[in-house]
Amino acid sequence: MVTVSTMAALVVDGLAFGASLALLGVGITLVYGLGEVLNLAIGAFAVIAAILAALLIESGLSLPIAVLGGLAFVGVFGLVVDRTLLSMVYRSDGEERILIGIFTTLGLTVLLEGVMVNYVASQYSLPLGLDPIQLGSTVVTGTSVASIVVAAVVLAVLFLFLNRTFLGKATRTVFQDERGARLVGINPRKIRTLVFVLSVLVAGLAGMLAAARSNVSVASSFEFTTFALIVSIVGGVRSLVGAVVAGLLLGLINTMANFFVGSYFATIILFGAAIVFLLFRPEVMSS
Amino acid sequence: MSDFLPGGRKLALVGLLFVIAPLPVMGSGYFIGVLSRTLLFALFALALNIVFGHNDQLFLFMGGLGGIGAYTTALVADTVGISAWLALPVAALIAGLIGLSVSWISARRRFTVILISILTLNLQLVFSEAFIGARSLTGGSTGFPYELFTLGGIAEAVGVPTAVVTYYIILAFLMAAMVLYIWLINSKYGIAFEAIREDEMAAESIGIDVVRYKAIAGFVAGVIIAIAGTLLAREATYITPSIFTFLAVDVIALVVLIVGGIRQTYGPIVGAVLVEAIEAILGTHAANWRTAIFGALLIVLFLYFRSGVIVKAQEFFENWDISLGGGNGGTAAVETEPDG
Repeated sequence: MVTVSTMAALVVDGLAFGASLALLGVGITLVYGLGEVLNLAIGAFAVIAAILAALLIESGLSLPIAVLGGLAFVGVFGLVVDRTLLSMVYRSDGEERILIGIFTTLGLTVLLEGVMVNYVASQYSLPLGLDPIQLGSTVVTGTSVASIVVAAVVLAVLFLFLNRTFLGKATRTVFQDERGARLVGINPRKIRTLVFVLSVLVAGLAGMLAAARSNVSVASSFEFTTFALIVSIVGGVRSLVGAVVAGLLLGLINTMANFFVGSYFATIILFGAAIVFLLFRPEVMSS
Repeated sequence: MSDFLPGGRKLALVGLLFVIAPLPVMGSGYFIGVLSRTLLFALFALALNIVFGHNDQLFLFMGGLGGIGAYTTALVADTVGISAWLALPVAALIAGLIGLSVSWISARRRFTVILISILTLNLQLVFSEAFIGARSLTGGSTGFPYELFTLGGIAEAVGVPTAVVTYYIILAFLMAAMVLYIWLINSKYGIAFEAIREDEMAAESIGIDVVRYKAIAGFVAGVIIAIAGTLLAREATYITPSIFTFLAVDVIALVVLIVGGIRQTYGPIVGAVLVEAIEAILGTHAANWRTAIFGALLIVLFLYFRSGVIVKAQEFFENWDISLGGGNGGTAAVETEPDG
C-alpha cells in the first residue's frame, strides 16, 4: 500500500507540475480569448526562456539575473512576433483568422525548433539548489514548493492586473465586447500586443519552472504546447480561472497516473481528458 | 472512358510520366526513395484534399491513422498468419472506421473546422504515445523491421531492387486513389460536398444528408491514409513511432496540399513533387536547416500563398495571355519532374 506521506509528496509534486501547466494554459487562454489566435508556438517561447536562462547561468551569472534575462528576451521576441506575424493574422477575421492563426503559429513553432536544434541541442536544467522541506512526516522537494509559490504569485499579480488596473480592465473589456471597447476609445490591437507579450512571459516562466524540476530540451517545446492546449481546452479556453483549475487538476492526475500506471498511460489519460471535454463541451472552442 | 472519368487521358499521361520516372535512376536507392516519398505524400495530401479541401474537416491525425494502418497490417499478418496483402484491407477498414467515427461525431455535433483540428491533434498525440507505450505490440520506440508483402521475391524474379518494386506498388495505389478521387468529385458525392461546403444549412434544407456525406469523406480519407502509412513503413523497411509523428506526416502533407493547391485535382501530386524536390535539395545542401525551412514555408504559404502553385501559375499565364490549352495546368508542372 502507498503510505500517507508518499501520497502527500505526490500531491505536492502534482501541484507543482500543475502550476507549470496552469501558467501555460493561462498563456494560451489570454491570447485566444482576446484575439482568437491559438498560439501553438507557446511551448517554443517556454523552452527559449528556460534554455537561455540555463545558458546565462552557465556563463557565470546569478540565478535571478539569468531568469530576468531569459524573460526579457522572450518578452522582446514576443513583441516582434506580435508586430510582424500576428499583425498579418489579425488582418483576416472570424473562422479564417483562427485557421490562419493555427497554421502561422504552427509554422513558427516548427521554424523555431528547427533553428534551435542547430545551436542548443542538449538537455538544460535550472537547479534552484533548495533543500528538501519536511512537512510533518512527509518530505517534499524544495523545488516543488518553490514552483507552487512562484506560480501562485505570478497568477495573483496577473489577476490583480486584470481586475484592478485601468489597462487590465481595458483588456477585459476587449475580452467581452470588442466593438464596445472600441467605442469607448480602447485600441484592441494595442491591448492584444500587450497581452501577447504577457502570455509569452508567463509561458517563459512556466518553462523555467519545468527546467527547475527536470531537464528541458528543444524537443520539449511541442510537448509544452500540447499540454497548454489541453489545459486550455479543459479549462474552457476563454476562462482564466478555468485554466488555472484545469492546470492544477491535470497536473495532479498526471503525476498520480505516472506513479501508479506508468508515464505513457498517464500521457494518454491527459490527452483523453481533452478529447472527452471537446466531445462534451464543444461550445468552448467556437468563435 | 472520359464519360466515366473526366480527364482520364491526362491522368494516364501523368501516370506514364511516373512509370518512366525511375528508369534513369534505377540503380540509385536514394533517388528511388525520393520518388517513393513523393508519391506517398501525394497520397496523404490527396486524402487530406478530400476530407479537408472538399469537406472542411481538418484531419490533423494523419500520422496516427497511418501508423494504425501500418501496425495493424503487420500485427494482423503476424498473429493470424495471413499475407500482408489480406491484412492491409483489414487495417484500412479499421482506420476508415476511425475516420468515419470522427467525422460522424463532428458532423452530428456541428463541430467547426477548428474544433475538428484540435480534436484530431489530440487523437494524434494519443496514438503517438500508444505506439511508443504498447511495447509488446509495437516494439516501443525501437520498432521492428518491416518487410511485408513479399516484395523481395518479385524483385528477384524481375531482376530489380526491392525499392523499385515498392515504388511501383505505391504508384499503383496512388493512381487508384486518383481515379477514385476524380470519380468521387465528379459524382453526386462531389456535388453534395460542394453544396455542403458553400452553405451547410442550405444544403441540408434541400435534402442533402450532411452527416452522411461528411462521414463518407472521413471514411475514404481514413482508408487512403492507412494505406499510405503502411506503404510509408514498407518504404522505410523498418517501423518506428517516429515515422508517424505529427511533424513527420501531418505538417508535410499540409505543406504539400497547400503548395499544390487545395481542391485541385493534381494539387497533391504537384505539391509533393515540389516539396520533395525542395527536401532533396535541402538534404544535400542544408540538412540541418530542413525543419526550420519547412516551418518558414508553412508560415509564408498560409499568409501569402493559400491558393497554391497551380492557381498562381494559371493566373500568371492568364495575365500574360498564354493559353495552357485547357485543363488546370497540373501536367505543366509535373512534366519537369522526372529529371529530378
